[in-house]
Amino acid sequence: MENYFKRKSGEDLPNSIGMFSRDRGIIGLILIAIFFLLATPLLSTHRVTDFMIFCIFAMSFDLLYGYMGRLSFGHMLYLGTGAYGCGLFINYISGNFLLAIFIGVVFAGLLAMILGLITVRATGACFALINLAFNHIGFFLVLSPLRGITRGEDGFGVSPSKLGFLNLSSRPAMFVFVLICLLLVFYFLRKLTSSPYGILIRSIKEDETRVRFLGYNTFLYKWLTFVIAGGIAGLAGVLTALNYNFVNPNAMDVNGNVGVVFACLIGGSGHLYGAIIGGMIYMVISNFLPIYIYRWEMFLGFSLLIIVFRFRMGVWGYLQKFFDYLERGGVVSRFLKREAI
Amino acid sequence: MIYTIVYGLTIGAILYFISIGFSLTFGTMRVINFAHTITYTIGVYILITLVNFLKWHFHFGVLFAILTVIPIGYLIERFIIRRLYGESLDYTFIATFAIALIGVDAIKWIWGVRPYPISDPIGSYITLWGLSLPTYRILIVVIAILLFFALNLFFKKTIVGKIVIAALEDKDGVRCLGINVNKYFSIVFVLGSALAALGGVLYAPMSSVHPYMGLSILLLSFAVIIVGGMGNLNGTFISAFTLGMVMSITARYWSQGAETMVFIVMATVLIFRPIDI
Amino acid sequence: MLEIKDLDVAYGYAKVLQSVSLNLEKGQMAFLIGRNGAGKTTLLKTIIGLLKPQKGSILYQRQEITGLPTEDLYSKGLRYVAQEKKVFGNLTVQENIEIAAFASGEPLDVALGKVISIYPKLKDFLKIKAGQLSGGQRQILLVGRALVGEPRLLLIDEPTQGLAAIVIEEIVNILSSLKEKISAIIVEQNLAMMNRLADRLYILKEGKVVKAITDKSQIKQTEELEVFL
Repeated sequence: MENYFKRKSGEDLPNSIGMFSRDRGIIGLILIAIFFLLATPLLSTHRVTDFMIFCIFAMSFDLLYGYMGRLSFGHMLYLGTGAYGCGLFINYISGNFLLAIFIGVVFAGLLAMILGLITVRATGACFALINLAFNHIGFFLVLSPLRGITRGEDGFGVSPSKLGFLNLSSRPAMFVFVLICLLLVFYFLRKLTSSPYGILIRSIKEDETRVRFLGYNTFLYKWLTFVIAGGIAGLAGVLTALNYNFVNPNAMDVNGNVGVVFACLIGGSGHLYGAIIGGMIYMVISNFLPIYIYRWEMFLGFSLLIIVFRFRMGVWGYLQKFFDYLERGGVVSRFLKREAI
Repeated sequence: MIYTIVYGLTIGAILYFISIGFSLTFGTMRVINFAHTITYTIGVYILITLVNFLKWHFHFGVLFAILTVIPIGYLIERFIIRRLYGESLDYTFIATFAIALIGVDAIKWIWGVRPYPISDPIGSYITLWGLSLPTYRILIVVIAILLFFALNLFFKKTIVGKIVIAALEDKDGVRCLGINVNKYFSIVFVLGSALAALGGVLYAPMSSVHPYMGLSILLLSFAVIIVGGMGNLNGTFISAFTLGMVMSITARYWSQGAETMVFIVMATVLIFRPIDI
Repeated sequence: MLEIKDLDVAYGYAKVLQSVSLNLEKGQMAFLIGRNGAGKTTLLKTIIGLLKPQKGSILYQRQEITGLPTEDLYSKGLRYVAQEKKVFGNLTVQENIEIAAFASGEPLDVALGKVISIYPKLKDFLKIKAGQLSGGQRQILLVGRALVGEPRLLLIDEPTQGLAAIVIEEIVNILSSLKEKISAIIVEQNLAMMNRLADRLYILKEGKVVKAITDKSQIKQTEELEVFL
């Protein structure tokens, strides 16, 4: 029984824990921060803020898909719930954005708690489609029956009030705020995924029956992961609302899901760095390419096919292979040197 | 009330046409074929081209549309699904989704995004119990019932049907008897695509035709197979008509909520039925 | 007849079989015993091609069959009878045999005659859904289904699991009547049955062969073996 996990950790973890050991983890955080700071002059602060929010969303999706092996095609529901929760709170109750963020995340988390009870029992494409169906309902709800408070298709403006020295209507402040959120989420997810809990959800991805036979309540773990992923997606939604000062049903659009699936796959699923790289790649492509490519959906479709057939490791997978190669090369050269001496 | 029932039966019949292929591909191959949306939509657009622009007769249009969809279904099965077979099902799902994206965009490219109207090809009414009902809708229901019996015959009496029924239950068992199941899976797949196109072309005169029409229909037929049981032929039939009635009754009181109500039924079924899939 | 060398099989990260070797002569029956999870079923599934080995080779009648698809092994005379008595429950008994006859090319009445000759009572059940048969009858139907065509090597997984003593007796009789013509590898927990049929014995533990007895006269010591069950 122990053997199974030992074997797993023996083969799987050196890459991740090795890469993510304490020092490297902090270096990683710093590198991410530097990367986004350097990107601002190139792409404009507002855009990079937007990209970072998408990266948070991609990481939450990756927890579900890359780590636990559950492909959701309805993750936008939680992003939208976060956005609407926060926006409605600010509009109708109080302008305090910290409270609004809290409310948005809690809303998304609560929704994930309820729907998770149903969805996590399914696997594979059923899981994907059940989530898609719920996403469809959510989109419909904000669009039409709840029009009274959500203003349907038009959406509504969100203007948080100042909180002491924090003024999110200034672009740089928003940028720093989102960057901190991103680093916190990254740190939290890294801790989570390299803990015994993280190993367990990865084992669920490999072979759930086996984990269940070992005496773990897999339902509980799957549900918890679903709730965490929903909550973080909610955070991404809240930040979207605050960044655009605006919420409309696009935040819950069913078609938005393909973006995050694409991002996660092209970056390399099952790695947080992969999610960030993939998120950036997707955002850059979707922000700049549609000007040149008329047939955007066709482009996405063909890219997805290429990824599925030829590029499954994703960018991060290849980078990691490259690092491994360098490291091995290093060992070899050191060995050769010693021989020479 | 009679109108509501007839409407419900019509919707149920259409859902049945579309779900049957979906249910069979899932039951035999464990594959959820998102590209089903595209075979459905392309069938409709071919019909429109033939009937609206080339002024073909509706019946020939239907026939030709279905015949065109068959090779498309075969190509998807042969080059996408079979190549990913035995690997992670998530990849198959993503790949079929990608096909759907490409297909939708291709339709937008060729036909544009503007919705097309297509008129009721029969246009006459029959009087039943003192009510005049559109003949076309009655005809659809009749076709669905005939199809149900035809499929039952096919699966009970032919060796191909029997092999598929056996594979629904125990795929490896069939392989161990020296039968190459993939061959039978492509038959099922192509059959399913053709039936989806049939559903699409028959539904076209009652709905608006636009490139994204496949998505909500796909989700509805997914609800049908969840409620009816994956790969369960009789269950699919009953559940399609039940959900059709759910839609028409909901629409009577709250026209926009019809689809949502179907998903609520689906969620309720999911709560009470364990799904080990 | 069958020669397995250094077979390694893994599910994802977990290695299930490690350098397993096994030999079987024509007309012999080999028994595999071991606890749950020792890799017995995995070994049978690998031989029949439902699982792909990481390493090692499987020779059948001096031909390499490693990694060949399951369907192709059928015509070479390999038959796999899975555990849990998985008949096609929605089809009738006759249709079950019909499907078995389909790929082998044997006419249906010949196939039916073959199955009925090993178990005459089945004659009355031909039109009944196979799912409604009792456990023992289903097991016999499965063995019968495997005999259609020209089987040379049967791989049978836990044929007596959960069956009454009389039924087990019947199955043992059927298998011993086949003994001259057909070789078999049988996964079994029932040691009494093994005593009557086994020519060879392999004991698996945690994916490895820990003991192989190739001499028939050595097999009788049952108390010693019970440690491994």
